[in-house]
Amino acid sequence: MAYLTVQDGVKQFTGFRALNGVSIAVERGEFFTLLGPSGCGKTTLLRAIAGFNDLTSGSITLDGQDLRAIPPHKRDIGMVFQDYAVFPHLSVFDNVAFGLKPRKVPAEQIKTRVAEALSAVHLQALAERLPAAMSGGQQQRIGLARAMVINPRLLLMDEPLSNLDAKLRIELREEIRDIQKRVDIATIYVTHDQEEALAISDRICVMSAGHIEQIGTPQEIYGNPQTLFVANFVGTLNTLAEGEGRAKLLAELGISANAAHWTIRPERLSLLEAGQGAPSGAVALAGTISKFTYLGREAHVLVDTPAGALVVQVSNPALSAVRNPGDTVSVLVERSALMAFDADSKRLSLEG
Amino acid sequence: MAMLRKFDFWTLVMIGTWGILLLLLFIPVGSVLLSSFFDTSGNATIENYLRFFAEPRFQRAFINTLVVGFGGLAGALLLGSIMAFCISRFQIKGSRFVSLLAILALVSPPFIGAYSWIVLFGAGGVVRAWLRDFGIMMPPIYGVGGILVVFALKFYPFVYLMVSGALSNVNRSLEEAAEGLGLTPLQRTFKISFPMVFPALTAGGLLALIQSIADFGTPRLLGRGYNVLATEAYTLYSAEVGSNMSMATTISVVLIAVSMVFVLLQRFMSRRNVYHGNMINKPAKIKLKGWRNVLAHFAVYFIGLCGAMPVIISVIYSLRRTNGPVFQDGFALQSYERILFNLGDVVRNSLTFSASAVVMIVIVGTIVGVLVARRTTLNTSLLDGAFMIPYVMPGIVIGIAYIAAFNTGPLVLTGTASIIVLSIFIRRLPYTVRTTSSALRQISPSLEEAAISLGYSPFQAFLRITVPLIVPGIIAGGMLSFVTAINELSSSLVLYVGSTITMPVRIYLLILDGDFGTAAAMSTILLVLSGIAVYIAFRLMGRNEQALL
Repeated sequence: MAYLTVQDGVKQFTGFRALNGVSIAVERGEFFTLLGPSGCGKTTLLRAIAGFNDLTSGSITLDGQDLRAIPPHKRDIGMVFQDYAVFPHLSVFDNVAFGLKPRKVPAEQIKTRVAEALSAVHLQALAERLPAAMSGGQQQRIGLARAMVINPRLLLMDEPLSNLDAKLRIELREEIRDIQKRVDIATIYVTHDQEEALAISDRICVMSAGHIEQIGTPQEIYGNPQTLFVANFVGTLNTLAEGEGRAKLLAELGISANAAHWTIRPERLSLLEAGQGAPSGAVALAGTISKFTYLGREAHVLVDTPAGALVVQVSNPALSAVRNPGDTVSVLVERSALMAFDADSKRLSLEG
Repeated sequence: MAMLRKFDFWTLVMIGTWGILLLLLFIPVGSVLLSSFFDTSGNATIENYLRFFAEPRFQRAFINTLVVGFGGLAGALLLGSIMAFCISRFQIKGSRFVSLLAILALVSPPFIGAYSWIVLFGAGGVVRAWLRDFGIMMPPIYGVGGILVVFALKFYPFVYLMVSGALSNVNRSLEEAAEGLGLTPLQRTFKISFPMVFPALTAGGLLALIQSIADFGTPRLLGRGYNVLATEAYTLYSAEVGSNMSMATTISVVLIAVSMVFVLLQRFMSRRNVYHGNMINKPAKIKLKGWRNVLAHFAVYFIGLCGAMPVIISVIYSLRRTNGPVFQDGFALQSYERILFNLGDVVRNSLTFSASAVVMIVIVGTIVGVLVARRTTLNTSLLDGAFMIPYVMPGIVIGIAYIAAFNTGPLVLTGTASIIVLSIFIRRLPYTVRTTSSALRQISPSLEEAAISLGYSPFQAFLRITVPLIVPGIIAGGMLSFVTAINELSSSLVLYVGSTITMPVRIYLLILDGDFGTAAAMSTILLVLSGIAVYIAFRLMGRNEQALL
């Protein structure tokens, strides 16, 4: 049996169902991310594990123990909050030491453990300061040290980086990942940021509207999405417009499968140089450029084709690579890049 | 198990709160209502109300009440808006000092004002006598005119504090935008600024109106036959011969109804006009030049000094040499000596009553405030609504209601210190409930959740995290409650007996006896105590003058 399990978790609020039969299993030391848009139930699930909102039905076990029977303050679960929840009237040191007091840790040990935790988050120099005037990044580091120092059985993080600016977000997520690996503690991380989820997780659980869409490694989630929702939510996606153009393209690629949705990721498309032919297993689709967006390390070219408007991602665009709206180009579509979904938005395999 | 315990605790608080409201509010108010529907021999009747609307004496009192109410409102609006506008928009030298004068006017009991104006402009008034030397005859201040002057000068700080807060929060970009669209300064003021401060204006005006209607001391001392409902109720209640409790309660019901109507009216008027202030782009203060500058300074200082005049007069007169109740030339500490040797128990009464009321207010108010803020249910909303009732109850009505409820029956409290403490408690409790619940709503629930996740039980988490964060605000609120409690006259006047006399009641009686030296000295002591409480409150929460409202 896995370290943490949630079985058939249901949470019914008056008027709507936030969780609709959710089951997850998290292993020891695993970094497990709940990913989804706001309102998908990820925070509700996290708070049910923490004990702040009990489930309506279902079971939660941690190391074989029934967690729902234990009040939240006895669960021994560390939590990091979106708004940091740093105690404004306590110094940085006292904030971090706060959780050690009810655990009856001797004063000497408190000192050394708090000092260790603070140096792990690079705050040892600020121990005696009050947190009120500190930056968001520093406050969240306090929150992280405070949750880690008690050596919890499980670490929960509720969108800890979403109030920080982009650069700091990347820096701190690397630190979180490093610390988590070092102390080897099972962690459940909630985020709506797909890039963050891909960067930080061992496994990702994509949720929508109170149910689980897919659980898998970052590679599986991005490279092999099992539902149209996952494919759309994680990364960007081109959907081929229904009609003659699409039928012709599929026929040329030799695909006979019958699917409701045909999609392809922008980075799997490329522009053919003039005079170049399509290699085998691929088809050149003629089109007109309608928009060119330069982003530095990549450029997005929007091309109108018979199979609909497609975004083509050009990586590492050269200075001379500027394309003008109105230019005619050929878009190279590889057979293996196509992803098909049925009418229920489930992934179809394209064997043969 | 833990959930069950928590549930039980808050259910207990809920039941306790309704119990307190039932005992200290609903039963007294119910007794008043009931009593007004019975005649003196105990038969059910609506005779009292018919009599109220038929007898010229009561009709006159009713009209007089409206006159002083709206007169006080108009005066307070005029003085308060002028002061607010000048202070928040122009550079006034010593504007903090002027604000202090407004606070002084606010924390001094109104009947002191009445008497100080009698000293200056009464039949033998100092200023009148001085003017007479120049051949200028001036009518004495008695009557409706005097009442209105005192009310305007006493209650303008309500409007001033409310409106200056709103005015300095109006986003300057809005006025600049209006300027860009070609509106003249006058049009800008009326089309942009005025609607923005309208809610604050009506809120401050409402406070002035309700206080004017409820005030008892001023018309009593200055009216000279100009009776209002509050004084009529007291006369009917206290008359040694022919005391008419059922008529007194009838008038009380009318007073409550009138106050209630105005509260609802104010809510209706400002229901849609809620504008959120801005912290950036605040309006700059203009530096006026020439005669405009002189005029603005004159207006502000004139209003401020006139409002604080009673305080100044009290302090000066408390130090004058006296021979019995008669003032002599020169200064001495005789008046203070008299208090020290003869009236020490009065000061002690006031201090112990106010302190015990405030301790109860703080404890109960905080717990109920937590309940209202943390458990939003129909029940707590009802509770929140019920706490509006003491807000519109004039002190004299609370006094009469407590006599009506606790004079006979299972719980007899008349003549005890508890009845005075409880009457103060119930009047001020709503403020603490409000301030606590709004302070709690500012604290993120994740703070307590963090403490819980770190191993503290919900109750411990509340005690160790939330309480330290709201305590400064609660103590500050308690200090301001203390100011109201120690200055309370009208309910104590109905409820006191010889051994439970308080400072405001004693001052009132001293003034009636003509012993103004001792009255002035006691007023000064009262003022010093209030000043200390305000100072502590401001130290704890910053100089937040609007918290005084």
